[in-house]
Amino acid sequence: MTTVEALRDAGRDARLAWGLGAWLALGTLLLASLVPVSGIRVDGLAQTGYLAVAAVGLGFAVGIGGMPSVAQGAFVGFGAVAAGHLIDWGTPAVVAAVLGALTAGVGGVVVGAAVARFRPVYVVAGTWIATWIFAFALDGFPWLSGGARGLTVSPDEIVGLEPTATLHYELALGLVAVSLLAHRTLARSSFGICLRAAGQRPAAAVALGVRPERLRLGAFAGAAAVGGLAGGFAVQLDAVVDPDAYGASLSFTLLVGVLVGGAATALGPVVGVFAVGALSLVADAIARLTGTESARFSPMLAALLLLSVLATGSEGIVPAIAAKLRRSRAPEPDRAAPSGRPANARLKARGLEKRFGELVAVRDLDLELGSQRVAALVGPNGSGKTTALRVLAGTLLPERGTISLDGRELTGTPANERVELGLVRTLQSNAVFPDLTALENALVGASLRRRYGGALRTLFATPKARAEARETRARALAALAAVRLDERASALAGTLTGSEQRLLMIASALATEPRLLLLDEPSAGAGRAELDRLAELLGRLRAEGFAVLAVEHNLRLVRRIADEVVVLDAGAPLASGTPAEVVGDRAVRAAYLGRQSL
Amino acid sequence: MHFLLQVVVSGLAAGCVYGLVAIGHGLVYRLTGTVYLALGDVIGLGIFTTLLVAAGTGPVTQTSVSTGRFLLALAVGVVVCVVAGAGGYLFAVQPFLQRGSTLGWVGGTLALAFAIHAAIESFFPRSGYVFPDPIPFRRLGEAGYVVVGDTSFQVRTVYVAGIALALAALAALAIDRTPSGRGMQAIASDREGALVVGVPVERLVALAFGLAGGVAAVASITAAPSAPVSADTGTLLGVKGLAAALVVRFGPAWLAFAAGAAYGLLEAAIANVSLGDLELGPEYSAVIPLALVLLLVAARPPRDALEDVE
Repeated sequence: MTTVEALRDAGRDARLAWGLGAWLALGTLLLASLVPVSGIRVDGLAQTGYLAVAAVGLGFAVGIGGMPSVAQGAFVGFGAVAAGHLIDWGTPAVVAAVLGALTAGVGGVVVGAAVARFRPVYVVAGTWIATWIFAFALDGFPWLSGGARGLTVSPDEIVGLEPTATLHYELALGLVAVSLLAHRTLARSSFGICLRAAGQRPAAAVALGVRPERLRLGAFAGAAAVGGLAGGFAVQLDAVVDPDAYGASLSFTLLVGVLVGGAATALGPVVGVFAVGALSLVADAIARLTGTESARFSPMLAALLLLSVLATGSEGIVPAIAAKLRRSRAPEPDRAAPSGRPANARLKARGLEKRFGELVAVRDLDLELGSQRVAALVGPNGSGKTTALRVLAGTLLPERGTISLDGRELTGTPANERVELGLVRTLQSNAVFPDLTALENALVGASLRRRYGGALRTLFATPKARAEARETRARALAALAAVRLDERASALAGTLTGSEQRLLMIASALATEPRLLLLDEPSAGAGRAELDRLAELLGRLRAEGFAVLAVEHNLRLVRRIADEVVVLDAGAPLASGTPAEVVGDRAVRAAYLGRQSL
Repeated sequence: MHFLLQVVVSGLAAGCVYGLVAIGHGLVYRLTGTVYLALGDVIGLGIFTTLLVAAGTGPVTQTSVSTGRFLLALAVGVVVCVVAGAGGYLFAVQPFLQRGSTLGWVGGTLALAFAIHAAIESFFPRSGYVFPDPIPFRRLGEAGYVVVGDTSFQVRTVYVAGIALALAALAALAIDRTPSGRGMQAIASDREGALVVGVPVERLVALAFGLAGGVAAVASITAAPSAPVSADTGTLLGVKGLAAALVVRFGPAWLAFAAGAAYGLLEAAIANVSLGDLELGPEYSAVIPLALVLLLVAARPPRDALEDVE
């Protein structure tokens, strides 16, 4: 490889990892910080800048992580209080702020461990309680907050420079730029895509081996740390730890910023926080006219701003503008990687039984799946087909029976580990991630086998992380190509047709590099042409060496593609054999097939 | 024995008020699947509207308001509270539920909470207001206090607890026995089904939002003369009521009431406990119960708190 090629590759990797828009934003902000500011309140701008940093962190937890946290103000407080005490003990300013961020990160892990696995409504309740715990603690314990007068924080210098408001302003803008870069990078990485997938369809994400709890905990703690960093610097500008400043109303202000600007974008929270900041100037003006304190009007105006933005049904300022500017994007330029043949696999299930209370959903079920075979599981509605699939995939644990893969006991292994072992399932409903593109849907599956795709490695774009990101993309594209959806790679999954969505689910499953595929009614709602396409795909998968088990209603398709058919009736296997044998079975005809001619 | 009595007399009245707030949170959650973050401030609105009508924004003493005017003020306060609660549902919750936007109702109810809080504060900026007391408890015992053994307590705590208990019983009865209450139960168990059989879903849910605030406001106003009130009074009731409701997983009215009462008793116990040299004191009574609730929810999450993975 020549130097030029290497440079070009590195440039493309960086663009892929960090995104061009982020570079532009970074450059603009760095330039802005060099423009001399005079005649306006620099300290106010700096303070708003720090709030914007905290809001970018919150925006990631809310918009990408799907966790509507109302505790970000408390984490800013964690950082501020910790940094305040450290500076009081003589710690250098920047070290104190970083340690403040760490403290907030630890706080984020503690609160996140409680709430990150919850549905959004419980995240709201839990973080609201956490906010008040912190507010009460600051209010009640003088040793924490520095007492009634507050703890004074006055560092002599910040990395050798005099800590003026202008320095803080430049620092704040720099931090805004870095946090935007981090947000953009992570939102587009495996980490961010899997997070978004888990927020849209938790069940489908888990079926592809994603572990939502871990990702969310990381996002929540990271957001808290970013808030703590902002607090750690902001407190130096304030020069005092004000115990009233980090209560519920700061959490509210930050959330208003995020929602007004747009939670799903990196820039939204920044725009939103500055919009709220501009409102506080209006509040000051009203206060001067009426001769009262402006602090009374700020929350009121912020509330009104939020209610009016929400009332329009808008997603926020930035998404609204972006929607006006958006043009159709060029198709993804990458090449698909040729996929290798899956290794041989043998799955055995013996005597499976699953009960739901009194109801026996599956009993006495034996199954054997092997490479280069397509098996079909058929039976009337309610005969236990999907339950059997869920037991095999590990989202349900059987009451009795064993499952083994290549002789290895699998019965109690959790679903995500089974996906890693090569056993993956698609869901019955159209469970694509509607707000991700087709390629990103496949990337959710492809990310399973990433070893260097963690949030930190992605942020620092380490060589291994970059190379792996390239491979992962290629693998995702290959999976799309396998189901002939590569042309639609940059379309949002929600805009695909029903049968395209089913194919996309198979592509996401293929991207996990499985050996065995469990497909739940892949043909549902398919027309004649689509059935042909599906039959061709299943035939090709068999030829490539996959083991396939499909729950199927369409008996014509079963006859075309299945090597083996298992008929379930009321949870128990009624017959099994080749399609021809099963059709000839009298019991099967009586129970089921008599109603439908093959 | 002395300690127990001290805890009961100082925690029961507050706990019963929390219990009523918890009933409101539970009702709202079961009907709509939302957490009503504005509930506390709506109650605060009721308290301060009553104060405004009874005595204006100036300084008052406990004796300066006639019973007639107080009853009028109470009625106005509760009506404003019910209207604000129902209006809050129609403007800050319902539009977003329809769109399936969690962020929408979170933002909407929080905005409502902070708008009300700011409005109260702009009329009543001082950090504490004495609330007029229409019933002359101060004539009982020694200036309103009764001494049992070496514990003294305000006579009115018994009255507050009694009123709150009666309201809770009334609420539970209304949910069980009235057509509107049964309609609400139908909505809670199957919203679509309730719509199909002709239950006026939106009207009943708005009513529930209104009554959740109104009933708790009556109890809060009854308790208000015991200590100075501020704009934060309502907000804190909302938070503690939510904590109590979380403990019983937004369960039925009587359970929520019991949880609220227990919460109040726990607060009092922590404020009064002394183990050897260790005296915790009131600052711990705010922090520890909330932290325990968060811990409890984390350790034993309710089934509907977890993501539905099929």
